[in-house]
Amino acid sequence: MAKRMVCRVADVPENTLKECDVEGGLKLVVANAGGEFFGFQSQCPHQDVPLCEGLFDGSTLTCHMHLWQWDVRTGAPLGIAEAPLQRYPLAREGDALYLGGESTALDVGELFNGLAGATLEKLIALAKKETHPAGAVLYRPGDPAEDFFVLDTGRVEFLIGRGDRTAPGGFMLKKGEVFGWAALLEGYPARIASARCLEASSVLRISGKNALRVLEGDPVAGFTVMRRLAALIARYLASSGAR
Amino acid sequence: MRIQVNARNRGYDFDARAGERVLYAGLAAGIDLPYECATGTCGTCKAKLVSGRVRDRWPGAPGRKFARLAGEFLMCQCEAEEALTLEVSKFVYPPEPGACLPQVCGGTVREVRALTHDVIGFALELERPGDFDAGQFALLAPEGIEGYRAYSMCNYARGGRRLDFVVKRKADGAFSEWLFGADREGARLEAFGPLGKATFEPGLEKNLLCIAGGSGIAGMMSILARADAADYFSRHEGHVFFGVRTMKDAFFLDQLSRTKAKVTVALSEEDVAQASAWPKLRFEKGLVHEVAKRAMAGRYQNVRAYVAGPPPAVDAAIRVLLLDAKLTTDNIRYDKFS
Repeated sequence: MAKRMVCRVADVPENTLKECDVEGGLKLVVANAGGEFFGFQSQCPHQDVPLCEGLFDGSTLTCHMHLWQWDVRTGAPLGIAEAPLQRYPLAREGDALYLGGESTALDVGELFNGLAGATLEKLIALAKKETHPAGAVLYRPGDPAEDFFVLDTGRVEFLIGRGDRTAPGGFMLKKGEVFGWAALLEGYPARIASARCLEASSVLRISGKNALRVLEGDPVAGFTVMRRLAALIARYLASSGAR
Repeated sequence: MRIQVNARNRGYDFDARAGERVLYAGLAAGIDLPYECATGTCGTCKAKLVSGRVRDRWPGAPGRKFARLAGEFLMCQCEAEEALTLEVSKFVYPPEPGACLPQVCGGTVREVRALTHDVIGFALELERPGDFDAGQFALLAPEGIEGYRAYSMCNYARGGRRLDFVVKRKADGAFSEWLFGADREGARLEAFGPLGKATFEPGLEKNLLCIAGGSGIAGMMSILARADAADYFSRHEGHVFFGVRTMKDAFFLDQLSRTKAKVTVALSEEDVAQASAWPKLRFEKGLVHEVAKRAMAGRYQNVRAYVAGPPPAVDAAIRVLLLDAKLTTDNIRYDKFS
């Protein structure tokens, strides 16, 4: 594919944001963090507000509408933000910035985002990409919880309980969201919910056991991932007052 | 009618009466559905219809611009015509224990008085006592007039039957025109509340910074009442910045003289007079967020900020609090009514 120019370096002064139309049709917001450039989805994942209207102090990007915030180096959510920003790697050539390829769902996602390159590569090597039609069931209650999933595209919903005694257990719709994380926990060998694709969806399937082995080899990354996993689980248990 | 809500993290169900707006029914049932203004402006309560039919009471609501895709609607403006299944693309949590659940309550207007040439204060005497947290607001509508307006309570009392409000006259505001249009002493209002998360409890144990433009001072009066009753400012600093255009737009100056917090009145369009009738208050010339920024430089340790007023004033103050004060977003609480 031809190189796709994002903008001129001079268009984005230090510690500012700019919305850019990429050649070939894609809108990004570009942040200049002390001379380093980062590209993200142009709209806030919360309510479709242009992020270029937000606040930026050189390290934290804030959407002015509801004060969701992100780490500009990784797109990881900070504070009250409920979703990461999709990051687009940028490559600088001379006085212009070009799209440097798309980041994978694993890199975008809330659990593995920003990990050391070698560890992320190993995890990516474990991931099997699967596509499923609308209506496909990825797992049911009682199935062995051996793999976890990272959503790439589409939409997956959860139902807790069995037979006709079920309750909705939420849904996943953002690239990089992780589900089936029982596969990363001790003592939870079986699924307690069913996961069904609401529309045609593509996911990365990763063996929990193998991913844990990779993380044991890089305890700094392992600690980061486990902290994030704990926060993710707590989010499902919290009441409104905890937020 | 049964309403099923599928949120990002789990599902909820509750009942709504005929004619009851979906948002209000859910909040009254203790489900913390997303909302901000609750009156059709902000779009925060957007949901998607999965099955069933709704009736939109205000298809032209400004917040509709955030809900333009097929099936999307504002929960604060729509009522169920049959059982519904909705999808809300947010995390929705059960309420925290002890939270004050909102409900509809009738009341009588009392003690109507002009506070300035375009601000009226009044009390609403409720039919039954209720609880609210300092800093919350209620939706008000005169009986027989369609559409609620949001106003913050100025007082604080647990289990009380009295809510105090201030209303600024607005050319196109149905409620303010109603209130300013005739003597409304003894008139009947319908209230839905309490609402809002810009609340204060003395257990917070942080220094308070309140920045208010115009009638945005209302919620701050409630917070100050709560704090002073607990002698909060003997343990923590309190800084209040109240922005108005000129002295003839200022009100509540006697009450503000009685709080133990330090109060500065910012006059944006008038020079400060040499002598004032309120020796305990400081007067400064300038926009309220600029006056606050000058006075607060270097004093942001352990601060919780509350901001209220017209949207441009709130945005400007939030910019100062994020970029200059470096406050974390959980320590910036604001209401943006328009």
